[in-house]
Amino acid sequence: MALLEIRNLTKKFGGLTAVDNLDLILNEGEIFGLIGPNGAGKTTAFNAICGFYTPDSGSVIFKGENIEGLRPDLICKKGIGRVFQIVKPFKDMNVLANVMVGAFCRREGAREAKEKAQRVLEFIGLSAKKDFPADSLTLADRKRLELARALATEPKLLLLDELFAGLNPKEVEEAVVLIRKIREEGITIFLIEHVMQAVMNLSERIAVLHHGKKIAEGSPKEISTNEEVIKAYLGEEYVIT
Amino acid sequence: MVIIQALINGVLMGGVYGLTALGLTLIFGVMKVINWAHGSFIMVGMFAGYWLWTLTGIDPYLGLIIIVPALFLLGYFVQDALIKPVFRSEVGVREPIGVLILTAGLWLFIDNFALLLFGPFYRTARTPYSGLTYDVGGLLISAPRLYAFIITIVAAYVLSTFLKKTRLGIAIRATGQDRDTASLMGIDVYRIYNIAFGIGIAITGLVGSLLVPFYYIHPQAGFVFDIRAFIIVVLGGLGSVPGALLGGLLIGLIESVGAQFIPATLTQGIIFAVFLGVLYLRPQGLFGFEKEW
Amino acid sequence: MQVKEEKINKDKFARSFRSPIPILLALVAVVFCIPLVVKDPSWLQLAILTMWYAYLTCSWNLVGGFAGQLSLGHAAFIGIGAYTSTALYLHFGLSPWIGMFVGGAFAVVAAITVFYPCLRLLGAYFALASIGFAELIKILTENTTKIFGIEIRGPRGLSIPPLGHAPFHYQFVNKAYYYYTILIMLLIAWFITYRISKTKLGYCLSAIRNDVEAAQSLGVNISKCRLMAVSLSAFLSAIGGTFYAQLLLYIYPEAVMGIMLSCELAFIALIGGRGTVMGPIIGALIYVPASELSRIYLSGGRFLGVHLMLLGIVVMAVMLFQPGGLMRPIGRVYTRWVKKLEPRVQKV
Repeated sequence: MALLEIRNLTKKFGGLTAVDNLDLILNEGEIFGLIGPNGAGKTTAFNAICGFYTPDSGSVIFKGENIEGLRPDLICKKGIGRVFQIVKPFKDMNVLANVMVGAFCRREGAREAKEKAQRVLEFIGLSAKKDFPADSLTLADRKRLELARALATEPKLLLLDELFAGLNPKEVEEAVVLIRKIREEGITIFLIEHVMQAVMNLSERIAVLHHGKKIAEGSPKEISTNEEVIKAYLGEEYVIT
Repeated sequence: MVIIQALINGVLMGGVYGLTALGLTLIFGVMKVINWAHGSFIMVGMFAGYWLWTLTGIDPYLGLIIIVPALFLLGYFVQDALIKPVFRSEVGVREPIGVLILTAGLWLFIDNFALLLFGPFYRTARTPYSGLTYDVGGLLISAPRLYAFIITIVAAYVLSTFLKKTRLGIAIRATGQDRDTASLMGIDVYRIYNIAFGIGIAITGLVGSLLVPFYYIHPQAGFVFDIRAFIIVVLGGLGSVPGALLGGLLIGLIESVGAQFIPATLTQGIIFAVFLGVLYLRPQGLFGFEKEW
Repeated sequence: MQVKEEKINKDKFARSFRSPIPILLALVAVVFCIPLVVKDPSWLQLAILTMWYAYLTCSWNLVGGFAGQLSLGHAAFIGIGAYTSTALYLHFGLSPWIGMFVGGAFAVVAAITVFYPCLRLLGAYFALASIGFAELIKILTENTTKIFGIEIRGPRGLSIPPLGHAPFHYQFVNKAYYYYTILIMLLIAWFITYRISKTKLGYCLSAIRNDVEAAQSLGVNISKCRLMAVSLSAFLSAIGGTFYAQLLLYIYPEAVMGIMLSCELAFIALIGGRGTVMGPIIGALIYVPASELSRIYLSGGRFLGVHLMLLGIVVMAVMLFQPGGLMRPIGRVYTRWVKKLEPRVQKV
């Protein structure tokens, strides 16, 4: 069942076409990767899905419903969560309060929101730091926090924008395990990534963007041996470990 | 005929407003900081010019030679001692409100200190040319206003050249655009800030002195200029030099021409209404850039 | 066994100090009793003004602290409230108790139409816009003698004829009545801010204050939250304006709509700690007595504005040394004091 369908999505900024007639289908329960050189339009596509940009043409269909052009908060309520490329913790607040904001998406009362937030923090592994001010966390923990916040909104689809950037190899491994755990909860994962180790290991299918156009789509093995992709991006044949 | 007279007065005064806004926009363009106390420094310049004239008989235009550097030093010191520490602590913050609040406190202090020292009285300086007017084909042009306008244009030109052609000027502009890169290029960012602020305040000193021959001098005088300067800066676009001057002219014209038809205080209302309208429709002002606001 | 019981009792005793509620209740009780002991009207007036400022700052705090946008134009709402209830009373004989709600409604309308759209602006721009908003309203009032036949009298202001003790006309001779009115208003405003800070609206406002995009991506409806904050704030401020009108029985534009009043509110919140629940009250407790006393004892033409000068110095000092407001050090002192009361022996 197609959870997310992107049809002919186009977004221009002045003379620059950031996303050019993009077609993508995500199935429920899969982990789908989006890679491509910097400036290929990946984050723009994410922004169009999440409602931060309105596409110039094309449509975004989530669970059978057209969502292009809707406000970001409405899109969140429909079940799409997002982790940003540059983490945006609520610095004034502590970790628990940060996650509670996400929990309030589906709840009205403070007590239920707090319980939900605490459960999410346990799932993510940040329980011990729930009273820490958000801006005192390490980068890896901030990414966890961002993830926890998004999870608290109970998304069906989670968009991860370069989650693994800036993490050391051990942190990358922990994150991979965590993403798989999240998928086991029934959440579909759509990730933008440059860290090949992560995206090749996690994704079941991958699409490659270059200058806003999709130049390849397939399994990680197919992608890593695709000539176009190698030319544009990978530089050499990438061996899957 | 009356309209043309009003237009002329509006242009003359508008030039002075523009110069005020110029100082403010320079400070903002370089440091992304709103200086709430800008008007207060104008008032300081006014009183400096006034006392210089009243106590020593030095003509306000001559007194500029003393006042402008003095205010530069004052600005430099204020920036260094007061603004820099707050600024430093807010380096990563997207909206450095702290400095805004600090300068607001400074405004309160300076304005009311002046009130304490000089009392609420309105003073005037009667220079030999205060009442002088030139008759140009039936149109009366007030001499001190004309001189103020001319000096304003000269000052704006000098400032513009300074920023474009001299090393220091280029360093200032560079710091304004990207402070990290500028510091990597060997520019002492905080010294530049001090200098930029000093220049901005020196300009207020200039404006203050220019106003002495024909404006009422009192502790609250600066506030009125302050508000106008902010409106102009926003209208013209924060950080934009032509915007500041054109905005100044616009405000001057509205005031002057408007006063022919409606009570003076109501023209203030129109200015505020225009201001709110611009903020609503085009927050970056006439010449500003999208991201700035 | 006896030893254990003793330790448990000590624990319970200490724990009751950790939550500040009992202390606050005690303080409130003390404040309630003050008019019974203090009869001098000038001291009562001082207390009334302090509470009035605290009340106004609490409602300012909803926009300036919780929503995070520094408003320097809140006096507009105060003025709208004061003028609406007063004008309606003078012209129609409508009791100010009812008129104040009408004033509140007008303030909300003004907030939604003009104030709210400015909230999306960056901090400095918003501050300027709020000033523009308040000044515009003040100028319009100063230039109006009559609206629809109702007297406004521009800069000369409106006077309310004193009727002595007339509760239905919102007038009292004994200051104690005003004292209790504003005290109750303050408690309500404080309670509202407290509840908001603990519920969904408070969390959402904090999120918006920190990062609008992140908040949106988490399902926070930015407009709705801001509208609620602004409307509530405007409404409460307007009611405060009516109180002032009834206290002094004379209002004019500069007094109730002036930029100085707006700045005082912002600065009081800053001194106490904007965005905190107790901040406005602490700020008012520090600023208002100092300001009033300096106005009284250093009065006369030469000393006009000394209180504002002092405010300026304090604001600068706070920004330089304690930008979070004085709540933080006070909070620290409080926690240290609480820790001292805890039983030394933790092990059973």
